[in-house]
Amino acid sequence: MIFRRFILGAVAGLPMLAAVSAAQAQVAPDAAKAFIAQSGQQLVTIVNGNAAPAQKADELRQLVDQIVAVDQVGDYVLGRYKNVATPDEHSKFLALFHQLLSYNITYQIKAYQGITFTVNGSSVMGSDTIVDTTITRPGQAAADVGWAVDEVDGAPKIVDVIVAGTSLRITTRNDYASVVTSHGGQVSALLTAMQTLIDRHKAAN
Amino acid sequence: MLKNSVLRFFGASFAKKSRFLAGVAVPSLLAGLLVGCATPPSQSDTADYQAYIQQNDPLEPTNRVFYSVNDKIDRYALKPVAEGYVHITTQPIRNHVSDFVTNISEPGRLIYFMFGGKPRDAGTSLVRFLVDSTIGIGGIFDPATALGYPETDTDFGLTLAEWGVPAGPYLYLPVFGPSGARDVLYLPAAYFLTPIEAAPSSTALTVFSYSETGLRLVNTRAEYIDPIDQIEATALDPYATFRSLYRQQRASQLQLIDQRDTPTVPDWYPQPAQK
Repeated sequence: MIFRRFILGAVAGLPMLAAVSAAQAQVAPDAAKAFIAQSGQQLVTIVNGNAAPAQKADELRQLVDQIVAVDQVGDYVLGRYKNVATPDEHSKFLALFHQLLSYNITYQIKAYQGITFTVNGSSVMGSDTIVDTTITRPGQAAADVGWAVDEVDGAPKIVDVIVAGTSLRITTRNDYASVVTSHGGQVSALLTAMQTLIDRHKAAN
Repeated sequence: MLKNSVLRFFGASFAKKSRFLAGVAVPSLLAGLLVGCATPPSQSDTADYQAYIQQNDPLEPTNRVFYSVNDKIDRYALKPVAEGYVHITTQPIRNHVSDFVTNISEPGRLIYFMFGGKPRDAGTSLVRFLVDSTIGIGGIFDPATALGYPETDTDFGLTLAEWGVPAGPYLYLPVFGPSGARDVLYLPAAYFLTPIEAAPSSTALTVFSYSETGLRLVNTRAEYIDPIDQIEATALDPYATFRSLYRQQRASQLQLIDQRDTPTVPDWYPQPAQK
């Protein structure tokens, strides 16, 4: 039962999966709670709206750019391999990462029709402020999702999605690191894998 | 008599048990271990070597073979059955099935918590089993959670963790799925620690045991249809993603057990006088 909530929550948070950032200032719990409440309401409005799926995807991408520290996402996910990558590989990685995030959002948008979003509370954990929420979808068990919020460039931004103590940014980082490691530490292999996945998404849509 | 044991799927306690399967899985595992180990990168390749150590998956080539086998079993057998099951049931029904199979595992958790030195968690498991088995009509309902006794999942692997046994290398078991050198010991423990094991042997009990195992398996897989589909569609390396989720989830379970076992002073205990 608990794990079901965990995994459903993990997937519910996937549109924000890439949420990570470098060093940021801490956000007060009340401010973080208000930020997540507002962001969640925007998310629900878009997903449950009557717009065409393509338009919804565009709106969601814009929302993610506003509320998630996307520019820092790639660097965290790339992790230690940022020091291995050439400047050209690094910039190409960030471009592919943004593209992949967009396709992931598009892929999942259909599954979130009828979503509801409830903010429960907030607390400080380490350097992050965690806002606890409950996400429900029709015909699905409720999912508890925690949103880690930090101040980035003077504004609150989501930096991680946490479900039952499981960080989605770490999961993504491990996913990407596995690709690099299994190809002898070559970042180029990661870029190829990302491009392949993007091409697969394009072919499916 | 064929018996239930527990299949780990995606880090969750789900599923399966039978001496037949154990008889197949164990030799397969041992044979697989002989097949291949991952070649560690040179220690001079700092980033790559650190990643290798962090993954702690020296049997990765073998694990990936078993992952591939399990994936095919799931794709062509388990998932289609689960999809059919979803088609003929509703979410509330599936929730009640989940509550039912969770309740059957509660006595085992009681013992794990006792061995792990977690009296408060053990007490919660005992109360949950008594309340849900009676008021909850055999565990179909879960009034214990509403009464303030939520489920805290555990198993023998986590008990060993409480004793200080390290997780050890990652293992992906045939049929049983994600595990580890420590957590794999959970299987023989789960084999014996069920109310079904304690009951006198009978044909009816055997039928019940098989039915419960099958229902648990299908019900749990049904809950993961969308999540697994999405991970497989969006992850670059689903094997690594499942490995990461499994490891994080185990660490989280351990943390939750410790959090919930925090001792408190009972209301009836004399409070120190205020100065």
